[in-house]
Amino acid sequence: MTMAPGLRKFALVAHVISSVGLLGAIAGFLALAVAGLTSHNDQMVRAAYLAMDLIARFVIVTLAFASLLTGLIQSVGTRWGLFRHYWVLAKLSLTVIATIVLLVKMELIGSAARFSAEATLCRADLRAAGIQLVIHASGGLLVLLVPVVLSIYKPPGMTRYGWRKQHA
Amino acid sequence: MADPPPYPGTPRWVKVSGVAAGILALLVVILIHAGGGHNLQSGGGIGGHTTSESGHR
Repeated sequence: MTMAPGLRKFALVAHVISSVGLLGAIAGFLALAVAGLTSHNDQMVRAAYLAMDLIARFVIVTLAFASLLTGLIQSVGTRWGLFRHYWVLAKLSLTVIATIVLLVKMELIGSAARFSAEATLCRADLRAAGIQLVIHASGGLLVLLVPVVLSIYKPPGMTRYGWRKQHA
Repeated sequence: MADPPPYPGTPRWVKVSGVAAGILALLVVILIHAGGGHNLQSGGGIGGHTTSESGHR
């Protein structure tokens, strides 16, 4: 089943906006995580962790699911398919893994925000969380750059399933 | 009807990426185990401390 050209373009625009927006949101999150980890100003540290919680909850999670959903629509609604080409399969796997890791880390992000809002700021505890958040944001950013590269280069190579379908 | 052409096999970039991803995943697992895993307590502090404990240091 392939989509009409107009609908396909619309779905592509939605996919590019959500995917690139996700990258930008994670880059912003990483900047705040680094600020929260390195700043000596208590107000800056508190603001950074509270902003990270809001960005993660309302922007990053939303864009991650939007990117996943629009990517699925793009693949099943075009000739590329979901399991026919290795590059599509790689994009799907990376986005699913990144989304799962994000959802698992939401508890840590929420805890860091709650902890930074406490009357007494414990630097040691926030530092432990801050290091983890910087590592995860950096890793997430690197992992999500790969789908962008794959989308543009579209490296050749069909899966066994795709080969069978093409020659059926 | 002619037989379909044989499957050309998995491309090299997929094999190389698969091996690299496997090594990376193994490294992450080793690092997590070496670090003793994450010590997160959602009700209390992040590192297992409470605010009142940390306030007395």
